[in-house]
Amino acid sequence: MNIRCARPSDLMNMQHCNLLCLPENYQMKYYFYHGLSWPQLSYVAEDEKGHIVGYVLAKMEEDGEDNRHGHITSLAVKRSHRRLGLAQKLMNQASLAMVECFQAKYVSLHVRKSNRAALNLYTNSLGFKILEIEPKYYADGEDAYSMMRDLSAFAVDNKTDSNATDNLEIKSESAIISQC
Amino acid sequence: MPPSNPLPPKENALFKRILRCYEHKQYKNGLKFAKQILSNPKFAEHGETLAMKGLTLNCLGRKDEAYDYVRRGLRNDLKSPVCWHVYGLLQRSDKKYDEAIKCYRNALKWEKENIQILRDLSLLQIQMRDLEGYKDTRYQLFMLRPTQRASWIGFAMSYHLLGDYEMANSILDAFRTHQMKGPYDYEHSELLLYQNMVLAESGQYERALQHLQKFESQILDKLSVKETSGEYYLKLNRFKEAEGIYEDLLKRNPENVLYYSKLIEAKQLIKAEDKVAFFDEYKKQYPKAIAPRRLQLTEAQAQSSFENLVDEYLRHGLYKGIPPLFVDLRSLYADPMKAETIEKLIIQYIDNLAKDCTFGPDPSEVKQPASALLWAYYFAAQHFDHKKDTDRALHYIDAAIEHTPTLIELFIVKGRIYKHAGDPISAYQCLEEAQAMDTADRYVNCKCARYMLRAGHIKRAEEMCAKFTREGVPATENLNEMQCMWFQTEAAASYQRLQQWGEALKKAHEVDRHFSEIMEDQFDFHSYCMRKMTLRSYVGLLRLEDVLRAHPFYFRCARVAVRVYLRLHARPRSDAPQTAEPDTENLAPSELKKLRNKQRKAQRKAEQESALAAQVQVKREQHHKARQQQEQGDPEAPQLDELIPEKLARVEDPLEQALKFLQPLRILAADRIETHLMAFEIYFRKEKPLLMLQCIKRAWRLDSDNPELVDCLVRFQRWLEESLSGLHPNVAAVLKTETQPMVLGRSALQIAEQSVSGAARHAAALWAARALRRLVPDRTEQALRLVTSLDYPDVTIQSCADVLESLREGDFGECEAVIERYVEACSARFPYAIAFKPAPAPEASENHSEETTPLQPKEITANN
Repeated sequence: MNIRCARPSDLMNMQHCNLLCLPENYQMKYYFYHGLSWPQLSYVAEDEKGHIVGYVLAKMEEDGEDNRHGHITSLAVKRSHRRLGLAQKLMNQASLAMVECFQAKYVSLHVRKSNRAALNLYTNSLGFKILEIEPKYYADGEDAYSMMRDLSAFAVDNKTDSNATDNLEIKSESAIISQC
Repeated sequence: MPPSNPLPPKENALFKRILRCYEHKQYKNGLKFAKQILSNPKFAEHGETLAMKGLTLNCLGRKDEAYDYVRRGLRNDLKSPVCWHVYGLLQRSDKKYDEAIKCYRNALKWEKENIQILRDLSLLQIQMRDLEGYKDTRYQLFMLRPTQRASWIGFAMSYHLLGDYEMANSILDAFRTHQMKGPYDYEHSELLLYQNMVLAESGQYERALQHLQKFESQILDKLSVKETSGEYYLKLNRFKEAEGIYEDLLKRNPENVLYYSKLIEAKQLIKAEDKVAFFDEYKKQYPKAIAPRRLQLTEAQAQSSFENLVDEYLRHGLYKGIPPLFVDLRSLYADPMKAETIEKLIIQYIDNLAKDCTFGPDPSEVKQPASALLWAYYFAAQHFDHKKDTDRALHYIDAAIEHTPTLIELFIVKGRIYKHAGDPISAYQCLEEAQAMDTADRYVNCKCARYMLRAGHIKRAEEMCAKFTREGVPATENLNEMQCMWFQTEAAASYQRLQQWGEALKKAHEVDRHFSEIMEDQFDFHSYCMRKMTLRSYVGLLRLEDVLRAHPFYFRCARVAVRVYLRLHARPRSDAPQTAEPDTENLAPSELKKLRNKQRKAQRKAEQESALAAQVQVKREQHHKARQQQEQGDPEAPQLDELIPEKLARVEDPLEQALKFLQPLRILAADRIETHLMAFEIYFRKEKPLLMLQCIKRAWRLDSDNPELVDCLVRFQRWLEESLSGLHPNVAAVLKTETQPMVLGRSALQIAEQSVSGAARHAAALWAARALRRLVPDRTEQALRLVTSLDYPDVTIQSCADVLESLREGDFGECEAVIERYVEACSARFPYAIAFKPAPAPEASENHSEETTPLQPKEITANN
């Protein structure tokens, strides 16, 4: 498994991976929008044949200079490639880039209230905190937890070494899934 | 330049308000003002007003009137740049870019320096990849607006895209020094990296490296700085420095496979032992990283070394219970030594785990958790499935299921084993079980749907997918809207297998339209990226779009479309509105009964569906109306014809349609022999000898042994033998000379005979036998002996199924008895494959596979 920053030529295959794994889907143009606005922020995990088995699609929320923060639009790892810690590794790479390139203070995301596995990953393995519940956030009427993770550790650590990227080990049984 | 028919001040003010209304999308008001001008008899034929009225109507979706008004306006004022510009915009909204470019050019004839028109023109030029034209336009924009940032960027980019790196770099340099005044922000950082990309593409790595080092502190994207400078150092053979860079990169991301291989390059390690030792070091440094441990297994060549390493790797994976363990190791199986070693170890683990809960034979070893045995079974099942040993694979997966009946992964693997064994029905039933155990997991849902499509149960697959698509619309519509190409390509292939040609074509066209849409998607980014300065990614997008249809999804849908169109050419659909009518003469009574049953059910189903579809249509129209009122219609979206399967199957020019699908492949998939073989089939039917020749030559260059190509050559030579005399002497001469290196003076029959005697592989035997039988029906016996033998080293379920299909298609004439014996032989060889099973008793099988009642998922929501 290889983890690297996404290129424009990955975007179609990320869409494919998204359609296989998650209920929230987007047309290609939305992937282009991410890849061409914040090319540093999206990452992919690929297998030896170059097939994408996981990805994180991320962006910046640019509401005001002092509230610069990243946002995870979509994160998925194929069920066939769970428990390798891919989601966590993808998230950490994206977070580091948010800090380096865009001076992000924190990163936010939404997760379905019913998605226990994902909630577990975000709280236990990645240090996200629940900010609030957004009622009826999803198209089907389900509520979302709005979550955030402080990124100040990355701002310090990326100067010296990469502790921030590997001092968190996957503790959850099954790693996965979120949605914007 | 003043229009030829100027309006007096009052009307002119009104005209300006029309323009403003258009810009602000207040189309109704715009029409009002237009009416005020036009109702004055003096200005009833005022060209620019008429044109603007047309453009406004277009935005309200009244396309026909729009064209009428714009054309009338233009006729009345052929020298008006406004009229030409408007006509261009109208064409652009219909995606007729070539026409739009012509209009803009005409507009510019009358007003050379209109910035807006020049900008619009440049966008179309880059969209159409008219790079020379783009350069000229960007030059003019630059001269007219030298203080604007976009002028410089577009100007530089136009040279870059033409490969004039020096000029592009000089422009960027000048821009940076004269125009960019701090702050050193993200955009500045991106610009520097873009300039660096231009330098690198010119091949001047030394210069690019210096540039990067000079500006490093102003660049925010540290990863790109490191990755590109690592590349440069390697290109410049400055290995020590490259080493340092890649060490740093690994600190950032120890899961990047490329960094390790670059580091090996920098350290100039050649020998396998050295590489193995290299990875030892990084395993220590990054104990949690998977990449160094896994890559080491690929490098290890000596059996003992490999065994130690893979032993450690397997034990760790089984202890931890990592489901992808086998998938992760599968590529090692290319080396038989490695496959055998793994087999030996896994069997040893299973024995010991079952006895003593240890991996090794020593019972005093550390005890493993009970799950280790489960994962070992799971691994063994996949291992033997990979070896095509279905019995043992099933044995181990059943042992695993007995151990832990609630683990979804086990049912997925069991399904895959059945799929590989040729039983798509049992396969999808396993997936149904898996799916019912976690209905919230879309991955399992999709996998189940895919297996259903493989088994020919398209409606069931749609129902399955519907659990994750928007309520209120049919699943297929939502999947189409979301550009879900895996489903559509699989469905196309499934319909093709079911001989539902129209439906197959519909799916293929849907996928093709996604590709067209994705080509359109780039339009907005031409100006967007220049503002955002993400120019490297923008160039990446342009290059992606240039080869977009090289994507495997396109290849698959095009292949279905071409084959279906060829079939429709051979047997055009009659006017009876029946779905594919199987040949009933050759059916046994029991099969016939089954078929009739099926047809009755299908008809009932179709009636229900059309009732449903009618309801949906009503809903959709309501939805559509509501949306239109909301958005005032989307002026950008030209209406596409609805794809109607019945109509598609009754196509009048199937070969032309096939060519349309094939054309992109001839450029973008020229390295795949299938492309040229499909092209040959089309041109053969069109009797275009020079194009046939071209296809054969291109295929020949890729693989002169390809059995299908040899068959093409036989048919081509045969065609020449019959038709050469009727051709123009010059054409005939070319054909003779050019085929000579392939034909070598042989007749079609001689080529076929040689391929018969040389047929060592199964596919070769089929093609050769078929060619022989076609040329000399008297030698059917010999051909049949050749084709029905199972003594080829590469016999597979698929290759046997191909032979069977050919026999049943009548390629070898009437041969009922032969077919029967062949099916028996195949069935003995592949006992699970349903392709070689006698038709099961109708009722039993149908209850299971044809029922329309929805599935009843068991209420198990295990979140393992």
